[in-house]
Amino acid sequence: MTTTLSRPGVLPAVPVRPLVFAGTVTVCVALPWIVGAYQISLAASALVLGTLAMSTQLLVGVTGLPAFGQAAYFGVGAYTAALLANAGVTAGPVHLVAAASTGAAAALATAPIVLRTRATTFMMVTFAVQSLTATLASKWKPVTNGDDGLHTPAVRPWPGGPALTVNGFTYLYVLAAVLLLGLLMAVLLRSRLGLVLRGNADHEQRMAALGHRVTGELTLGYVAAGAFAGAGGALLIAVNRYVSPADMGFEVAAVTLLAAAIGAGSMTGAVVGAALVVFARDYLGGSTEHGPAFLGILFLLVAYGRPLVKRLRS
Amino acid sequence: MDQLTTYAVTSLDGVAFGLLLFTVGAGLALIFGVMDIMNLAHGTLYLVGAYVAATLSGGGLLALGVALAVGLAVGAGGGAALSFVLRPLGREGSHLDEALVTLGIAFIAADGMTAAFGAAPMQTHVPTALEGSISLGIHAYPVYRLVFIGVAALVAVLLHVAVRRSTPGKMLRATISDPDMAAASGIDTGRVRTAALAVGGALAVGAGVLGAPLLGPGPGVDNTVLVLSLIVVVVGGAGSIPGTLLAALLVGQVQTIGVVTAPALAPFALFGAMLIVLVLRGRTTAVVAGRPA
Repeated sequence: MTTTLSRPGVLPAVPVRPLVFAGTVTVCVALPWIVGAYQISLAASALVLGTLAMSTQLLVGVTGLPAFGQAAYFGVGAYTAALLANAGVTAGPVHLVAAASTGAAAALATAPIVLRTRATTFMMVTFAVQSLTATLASKWKPVTNGDDGLHTPAVRPWPGGPALTVNGFTYLYVLAAVLLLGLLMAVLLRSRLGLVLRGNADHEQRMAALGHRVTGELTLGYVAAGAFAGAGGALLIAVNRYVSPADMGFEVAAVTLLAAAIGAGSMTGAVVGAALVVFARDYLGGSTEHGPAFLGILFLLVAYGRPLVKRLRS
Repeated sequence: MDQLTTYAVTSLDGVAFGLLLFTVGAGLALIFGVMDIMNLAHGTLYLVGAYVAATLSGGGLLALGVALAVGLAVGAGGGAALSFVLRPLGREGSHLDEALVTLGIAFIAADGMTAAFGAAPMQTHVPTALEGSISLGIHAYPVYRLVFIGVAALVAVLLHVAVRRSTPGKMLRATISDPDMAAASGIDTGRVRTAALAVGGALAVGAGVLGAPLLGPGPGVDNTVLVLSLIVVVVGGAGSIPGTLLAALLVGQVQTIGVVTAPALAPFALFGAMLIVLVLRGRTTAVVAGRPA
């Protein structure tokens, strides 16, 4: 999974990737002036899912842990931002910091459970964590308002700034936040921790034999992934002004894994994957009422396509 | 006193629900054991069984028998088909791709079933012979649930004996603990795998047919069953039938008594159970797939 990232020697001499990246960012910034309000709201949803996909990719593609439960920390962050907004704190950056903190705290609290397992069992346990957290959100009515969810006032891009009620402005705020988070992720991946996490994906026993405290390092990675997921939750509140247990449900967890798989180990790939998922589910499937079937087909295409692509590359 | 009997009845419901989860969970553990995959379409198999029951059964015992036979056939076929759809991914297929395939199947099947049976939960009718309630001391209890408890307990005993004592059971355990060694000693591991997948699928769909009056078919039921049965597998440790049974009964009690007395605490109880078991068992790469009891 990490082969595409761990082969620095095959980069072309012409800086194709930075150019493509710069072009994509330009198009993304100009998008509100190109497409309509509905498309722009879909694009904002794709960015939110993209943040969650980056968090998942940090575990799935980088660390080699098949995480199914990042939606839980996403939900923790979203409820944090919603409760803050309803308490009168509507500044988006405050939401981001607070939601990232609670997401990280929730990840730290659950890490002792999930990191005792690997591989398929890791997936099972993270799935259980996601599901039980969503159940908690639906049962803890005094705080979460149960299945009815929480409606919130509009988020402001800075304290005292204008309320983000127009889709285009909300989208630009979310885009700025996602670019910042992507930058942080890029720094993290190039840090010592990023390298250590990759090492664990390749050969955990050897890392342990080299004297690495593997569990501690994986805990750090897991907490970082929780923080990114939590920040994504804060962005969900900016876009939807609403959160319910469904926002951290099975489908969100499943499509996040799909987005990460489409990304094949790369962070930008995960965000592109999230955009593809939203396109297939809401744009193609939205008008037919068969969104789940479109998603299911996408799941199969990606699952069978990935080994093919891998074989073609090697 | 009155409250105590209410708890006792709820607890009996918990036993019935626990045995339902055991049947589904044992199938999941079996598939996990031989293929090292998490079958995310396992709840879908239960849901198929429940819809089969809702459509075919009702009225006589014969109809229930037909529904069960159809369900078992569908489940065995579905389970065996799993090995074929996973084959293109290669023997060393990544967990991610395997999960995506079963997820894709689950999504498409859920969409199809909602289209065919509607978005509202369906009612399942109990055969007339098993209708009504029987008096247990001072409280009446539905006959069907008692019969279900009996049948599921019998399934548990038969499974345990089959895995421990029978030749196919021994071949299964050999295949799970060391596939290469098992193949070298003359066991057709491919056939054992397919058979185990068929049994695993049949257990899930069979549980759906018989369990439909307890947990009826409707959108979302597949996820509920999937999550609870995989908690059963994690807590019980795949490979041990008694362990799976104990875990299922525990989850059954948490889901009935726990949800009645402290609904917000029930998720914590399941978290706690997983934490305790995983800490006690020590770190393992794949629960105890290599150590079948």
